[in-house]
Amino acid sequence: MTLDCTIDGKVLSLSVNSSKPLLQILSEDVDNTTLTSNCHGNGCGNCLVLVNGYAVLSCMVPAFRLKDAVIQTFESFSKTRQYRDIERAYQATGNRPCPNCYASRTLLIESILQSLTGAHHPDNEKPLPHGGVIGEKDLDEKAIVKELSLNTCQCMDTGELLQIVELALSYRSRKNVVRRA
Amino acid sequence: MSYAELRSNPIHTPTTLAEFGSIITKNPEAVLWAGGTYLMSRPNFYPSDEMVDVIDLSKMAELQRITRTDRFVDIGSMINVAQLADTGRLILPPLLLEALLSIGSTVLRRQITIGGCLCIPDYRLAIPTALSVLDTMAEMRLYLKSGRSSTKWVPISRLYDKEGKLVNQEGRFILTHIRVGLEYSNYQKFLIAGEPMHKPAETVIIAFQAERNTSSLGKVQMTITFPNMAFFINKEVIGQLTGITLPIMPTQIRQVTGTLKSELQKAYPNIGPLQLARALRMFESILYDINTLYLQS
Repeated sequence: MTLDCTIDGKVLSLSVNSSKPLLQILSEDVDNTTLTSNCHGNGCGNCLVLVNGYAVLSCMVPAFRLKDAVIQTFESFSKTRQYRDIERAYQATGNRPCPNCYASRTLLIESILQSLTGAHHPDNEKPLPHGGVIGEKDLDEKAIVKELSLNTCQCMDTGELLQIVELALSYRSRKNVVRRA
Repeated sequence: MSYAELRSNPIHTPTTLAEFGSIITKNPEAVLWAGGTYLMSRPNFYPSDEMVDVIDLSKMAELQRITRTDRFVDIGSMINVAQLADTGRLILPPLLLEALLSIGSTVLRRQITIGGCLCIPDYRLAIPTALSVLDTMAEMRLYLKSGRSSTKWVPISRLYDKEGKLVNQEGRFILTHIRVGLEYSNYQKFLIAGEPMHKPAETVIIAFQAERNTSSLGKVQMTITFPNMAFFINKEVIGQLTGITLPIMPTQIRQVTGTLKSELQKAYPNIGPLQLARALRMFESILYDINTLYLQS
C-alpha cells in the first residue's frame, strides 16, 4: 500500500506492507536510528513516538492506521523547545536514562508533561490512529509512576524519574507563564 | 522470507454496520481489527505469509457512542479504555473504573478498546472480570454463512467457555455494544496481582460486589480470574457469604477461605501455588476490608 504521512516534518509517500508496524517503517523505510526496541509488541516501551501529538508504542500501530498521520520521533523532538525543559531536568538532577531508553523515556516524560499542563498540541485536532480523542488531566503521583512504568528499562528508579518529571514540569510551567505574560 | 516477497493484506474500512455485514459475508475469514494491541503482540504477526483480509473497525461511528439512561449506560465496542475512564468517571460503577484504570499507562489505555479486550480469544483480563460481576450484557450481531444476520444479547460471563476461551458462535459475529447497569451494590472491590499480559500464569484478578447492610451482607457477586484459565464464579462460596452477619468472625473467614481453596483446587487441578496463595489472600483481604468498614461505621 502507499502510505502518505509526515515523519519528522517531512511529507512522505511510502510503499509499505499494510500490516507493517510503524516501528519497522521508521527503522527500515525511513532509517530512523533513535528507536532501539526489538520486543515485537511485548511492551518493552522503547519504541515510543508521537502520532498526531499523542504518545504511542510504534510497534503496536500498523501502517494502515497511519494514513495522513503526523509522526514525530525523538530525532525531531530533540530540536524543539519542549525538549530543553526535560534536558535541563536531567542535568539538574544529575540523572539521565541510559542510551537504550533515552529517546523513548524522554518522549514519555513529554507525554506526561502535556497531560499535566493540559497542553494543546497543534496537531491534536487530528484523531488518534485508532479513532479516539482523549485528554487526561490532573495526574497524581501514583498515576505518574504508572505512566512511567510503560518503559520497562531498569536504568533509573521511580524516585529519580519522579524528580525529573517534577522539575521539568516546573520549567515548563514557568515558560508558559512567561509566554502568557 | 524477505519482506519484498510479502504482499499487503487487503484492508477494508467499513463505516456502517450494513457495510460491515456485506464485507464479512464475502470474507468470512477476515480478521476484525479494533485496537490491535493483542493482534500486534502475537509472535508471528509481522512478517507473516498469511494473506487474510483485515476489517478495520475504527471508522464505524455506530461503535463509538456512549448512551446513558437512568438505568444503564450503553458503551460502543470501539470506545477505548481511556475515553471510557475519562467520560464515565462520574457515572460508571467504581468497580469498573478501577478495572479500567488498572491497565498500565494512558498510552496503552488509548489503544485498547472495550470490544477488543472482550474478544481476545485466549486471555481473560481485568475488564471482562469486572463486567461479569456487574451483570453486563453484550450485544452481538451474528452473520451466518447463508447471508442472514441476527442480533442477540449475551451476559459477559457466557461469552467464554469452561476453559476461558471465547465461545465459537455459529458464523462470524461482531460485538457492537455492552450495557452496564447503573444500579449496583454499595460495596465493590477490584483487586489485581501480577501482570496479566506478561505473566498470566502468576496473575490473579478479583472483582467483588455486595450489598452491605447495617448488620449483614447481601447480593454477593464475585469473579476470580486467572488470565490463562476460565472465570471462577462459585455458588458455594457466594452462598456462604450471602446473609453472613457482620463483622465476619475470624473462624468464619477461615472457613470460607478453606471452601474457596478446595473449590479452586477442584476447578483448576493445575493451579500454581503462587496463584492459589494470591487468590486466597486477596479474598481474605476483601473480607477484612468489609469488617473494617463495618467497625468504622
